[in-house]
Amino acid sequence: MKAAKIIFVIIFAYFLIACALLLRPFGSPTETTMDEYFIKNAQIETASNNVVASIVFDYRGLDTLGEATVLFAAVSGVILLFRGGVPK
Amino acid sequence: MLHIITLIAILASALLAIEAKDLLVSVVMLAAMSFLLSLEFFLLQAPDVAITEAAVGGCLTTAIFVLAIKKTRRLEDESS
Amino acid sequence: MRDMSKIVKITALVVLAPLITFGLYIIAHGHLTPGGGFQGGVIIASCFALLFIAFGKQSKHMLNKELLSVAESLALFGFVFLALLGLRKSFLNNFLANSGAMFGASVPFGTKEAYINTAGTIPLMNILIGLEVSCALTIIMLLMLNEKVSKHAGK
Repeated sequence: MKAAKIIFVIIFAYFLIACALLLRPFGSPTETTMDEYFIKNAQIETASNNVVASIVFDYRGLDTLGEATVLFAAVSGVILLFRGGVPK
Repeated sequence: MLHIITLIAILASALLAIEAKDLLVSVVMLAAMSFLLSLEFFLLQAPDVAITEAAVGGCLTTAIFVLAIKKTRRLEDESS
Repeated sequence: MRDMSKIVKITALVVLAPLITFGLYIIAHGHLTPGGGFQGGVIIASCFALLFIAFGKQSKHMLNKELLSVAESLALFGFVFLALLGLRKSFLNNFLANSGAMFGASVPFGTKEAYINTAGTIPLMNILIGLEVSCALTIIMLLMLNEKVSKHAGK
């Protein structure tokens, strides 16, 4: 059992180190057409100085809607769990 | 250089959070690790992620842990 | 659960107003500086967490549970309504940008001075998301602090 754990840790570490060595250098991604489009056009199309905000609320607005729906579902679950039981 | 110091401080505070005997000390160490992680995000030029990490990991999670720990009792209080 | 001392309570009340103002600043300047609705909402919710830690059982009557629930639902409904208003072109279309109406001034390309009267529907969505997130996290903490688990849970 202990040998299996050690072998698992060695395999996991091998994959982690391989991923770390295969990373590209900081600031030079492989595919840049999307980034160049956003940098060139986002400030003019949405008139927003913060490009991150224009992506989060405009181009990828459905993601924000999903996040808000997840929070709403969490609150519904908590209200359902704590819906006023009789304290002992 | 600042990167390496921050990463070593993150590892040290995470180990302290695991090894601490008192639960409150562990929670404070977790908050320190979260703030150092947000500093690391800021050094990697992602200020949005840094603000989110500092607000969620540093403030809200710590507050919820402290609220949960306040409902428990220490061992010394129970024996006396 | 023991009560906190008077020093903690007074300090929490003193710190509360500047922290809430900072959260509102993060929400209102979401389209100009880093930050936005989610981050500012979490900051406001952690202010109320500070209040709950300092006051304990007394904080049961400080906030109204039903009012928070209604505000959260209305904020999410407003977000969907604002997204549906742009349906003439597509869902979540930014119909106010560059139109000259409220938040409708256009922005030249490049790094210039930032004006708050820009960016179309993005500031409105920031405000709605901030209201939703702060109300949601506050109501979760309020319920977990004060209420008992329902008798019928798990049956």
